[in-house]
Amino acid sequence: MPLGAAHRLAPEALFLDPDPAADAAAMKAALDRLAGFSPGVVAEEDVARPGFGRVEVQLDGLERLWGPEPLMVSRIGEALAGILPGPPLAGIGGTRFAAAVASTRASPAGSGVGSGSASGSASGAVALQVVEPGADAAFLAPLPAALLSRDPEVRARLDRFGLRVIGQVAELPRSAVVARFGPEGERLHARARGEETDPFRPRRATERLVLALPIDPPVTDVEGLRFVLHRLAAAFGDQLEARGAATARARLTLELDRSFSAGDVPPSVVIDQPLPEPTSEGLAIERLLIARLEATPPRAPVARIELELRDVAPAAGTQLSLFTPQTGRTGRLGWQLARLGLRFGEDRVGWMELEDTEAALAEARWTWRRVPSLVDCAPDPGHAAASGAAHAPGRTLGPAHAPGPGRRAASTGPHGPGP
Amino acid sequence: MTRLLREHPSIDVELDSDGELVAFRWNGRRERIEVCNRWRVEEGWWSQPIARDYFKVAGGSWLALLYLDRVDGTWHLERLYD
Amino acid sequence: MTTPPPNVESALATLRERWGGAAPRWGGEVVGALAVAPRRIPVLDPDDLPGVPGLPATPNDRAIPTGFRALDSILGLGGLPRAATTALHGDGTSGKTTLALQAAAQAQAAGGIVAYLDLARSLDPVEAVARGIQLDWLVVLTPGSLEQALAMAAMLLQDRTVDLLLLDLQSRPLDGSGVSAATLAERFGRLAALARRAGVQLLVLEPPNLPSALAGALTQVAALRLELSRRAWIRLGRDVVGQLTQVRVARDRFGPPGRAAQLRILYAEGGLRDGCLTRSELLRENGSEPMGRLGIVGGPGFARPTVVARPGEVALAGDGLRARVALAGDGSRARVALGGVAPPGGSRPSALPSTTRSSPPLHLTAISVPDHATPSSSLAPPSPPPGSGQSFRAIRGGADRSGRQALDGRPSAGREPPGARTRGPARDAARGGP
Repeated sequence: MPLGAAHRLAPEALFLDPDPAADAAAMKAALDRLAGFSPGVVAEEDVARPGFGRVEVQLDGLERLWGPEPLMVSRIGEALAGILPGPPLAGIGGTRFAAAVASTRASPAGSGVGSGSASGSASGAVALQVVEPGADAAFLAPLPAALLSRDPEVRARLDRFGLRVIGQVAELPRSAVVARFGPEGERLHARARGEETDPFRPRRATERLVLALPIDPPVTDVEGLRFVLHRLAAAFGDQLEARGAATARARLTLELDRSFSAGDVPPSVVIDQPLPEPTSEGLAIERLLIARLEATPPRAPVARIELELRDVAPAAGTQLSLFTPQTGRTGRLGWQLARLGLRFGEDRVGWMELEDTEAALAEARWTWRRVPSLVDCAPDPGHAAASGAAHAPGRTLGPAHAPGPGRRAASTGPHGPGP
Repeated sequence: MTRLLREHPSIDVELDSDGELVAFRWNGRRERIEVCNRWRVEEGWWSQPIARDYFKVAGGSWLALLYLDRVDGTWHLERLYD
Repeated sequence: MTTPPPNVESALATLRERWGGAAPRWGGEVVGALAVAPRRIPVLDPDDLPGVPGLPATPNDRAIPTGFRALDSILGLGGLPRAATTALHGDGTSGKTTLALQAAAQAQAAGGIVAYLDLARSLDPVEAVARGIQLDWLVVLTPGSLEQALAMAAMLLQDRTVDLLLLDLQSRPLDGSGVSAATLAERFGRLAALARRAGVQLLVLEPPNLPSALAGALTQVAALRLELSRRAWIRLGRDVVGQLTQVRVARDRFGPPGRAAQLRILYAEGGLRDGCLTRSELLRENGSEPMGRLGIVGGPGFARPTVVARPGEVALAGDGLRARVALAGDGSRARVALGGVAPPGGSRPSALPSTTRSSPPLHLTAISVPDHATPSSSLAPPSPPPGSGQSFRAIRGGADRSGRQALDGRPSAGREPPGARTRGPARDAARGGP
């Protein structure tokens, strides 16, 4: 609206000149800070676009790290304090749409946790509206149908058909909505019923997923590391599964506390571990890395642990042979052999392969085939670890699938409203 | 089935007056044997020559494949038939 | 002794000139062995032929067949019990390795994955494949000690990713272990229990003279214990190509103990020769009988005709004698040329020297050769074994690329003085392997 009109509406308001550069920098800083909480962050970073100011954070599996959702949001708010000009409004829902709408319903006066409450209260410094799992449709039902789309034409048509609230749209047969609104009708109907229409695809680099945790006091034994690694790996597993993705490589960085160590202990240890096959199973990743640590324990207490997943890509399925019953078990066998190799030495596990069976010398008739993904673990004073074995393309098991329903938080900055 | 002893352990052998194998000793045991087959393998003469005289020998306890490494004159056990 | 005819004398002179002392001599002495291959490979008896898992018996829920029908028929469950421990006890040439690998092939054929704990570092993959093993589904682990082997096995069992675990105990299993035999025995007992719970078949190759603590533990946990002992060699000519092994059921939790079966094991080499070994009339079993003498088919005095191979398929081998077998018109007699590649049309073997009438029955050695044989270095005459007045030398001819040659009779010609002596190893030679 024109500035004059705004003055008339709110004479007491203080109108500031826009500073797009500062806004963009603040958003970037906020996203960088949020990356430390979740590997899945989506935001509109272009200040000129209408969606600027809305940030979506994927929370799947993170309760293991940050606690229950309200506490998570509170910690996020604390982290963003001083970066954003004001306290954000946060919403948590089962779909991106529901979370975004919930965030617009959060108010500093109180929090709303439930299926339809519009009240909100501060959770820490953040106003939070939580939609219970599975209650997205019920939460959206009484809300204006115009929220379903930004398109003025669609909004007008909804009004013409007498569809005033989202619940009315949800009650209609899908075919009827599609017949009157075309392909867009499919999205409208799904949104109204609490179904995900836009898979969560973080705009920030998806090749790397990184989570880190400080360890205080530093731990010296592998069992202690296992406890922390378990939380990180499990969180990643949920994230990957929610996105229908799999990772083929894990990188573990251990920062060492050298205060009481003698000798030339490096400041950090980096373990670069290719996986026997792309996976989203956090437990499998954890066990493999623990096998590696058991084979080569760190020489000093570990003060910080960082787990990074690389080579993340959509999980793909593979057609298993009908006539080779062993084929379906190769994935699991590969993991176990990788652990055996890490534990006892990669030259002690493998397969034999025939080469030239007519060779005169017996030793020339066959060769060893080692387990792929077994590399040497070398303490690295820098950051890059030597990776000795080429990563063999793994076989993936499991069907490709769209990201399943997950829990997401949509927080709005002070500059923009919801959807 | 034979056991292919990958390290080709060294053995002691006994030869008769004609230079024929009559016994060999391995793992603390002496076995009197008869030769039931033999052949020669030569390879890699242009780079790393390998020259072996193989002897398949049968004894009371073992049926084995021995060879004489003609490059260094040592005797080795390559296989045990089990 | 008769005098050879002039043409034979001339031929022999030529051979002497070429082969020196290795050339055949006239009258009463060994002139070599005829290599033959059967014209048709008959239907294979799964009990005999390597590489063919036992066909008639089929795995069931409780047991996996061994691949030897005679053995399966005396076992309580008709095979080696699943989800239990089986011990195969026998000395170095008892055939237990063959039996174990045959059973592993059966397990794989039934859809299983096999792990082989190769403590002895002696698994031969070529022969394993000849026994029916699929290397893709055979995980090989080479532990450094029995202690490590048990730890590896425990990890495998915990995840239940394999169906059969083969533990090949070396003859001195305590070597390299940092713990006592009693501790190892206790761990072994726990491993067997873990295998049972995991439903994994555990097959242990037990050498003789196992430390008593280990032997006791194995006896205690084994649901099936088989004792193997070799009864006789199976020979093809002079060569030993197999063995007769007796298997006695020392313990069987699922059936009566005490029964025995005889297994006929032919060694597998994974080549053409494996098929040749099915010609039963060429094989004979013996314990410690003296070797027979050998002669050339078609020569005067030869006792019986023999089916010969397809042309070019087989080479003769003998004391300096190399030739190519040509197929006779009726397939019942070989025409042999001496001293090299057979000339067109071949030459009648009538000029060949013969054995004396008082010679014992002739035996034949089958040698399969995929390619033409080429003349090679000269051969010294063989030394006759005591008592027979004859001696034997069989040479495996080979393709040029393999580099195989006829063997110089003197172990190191010109380098070692004759006389009985003991030769020690100059150094250890570590070759091959991972």
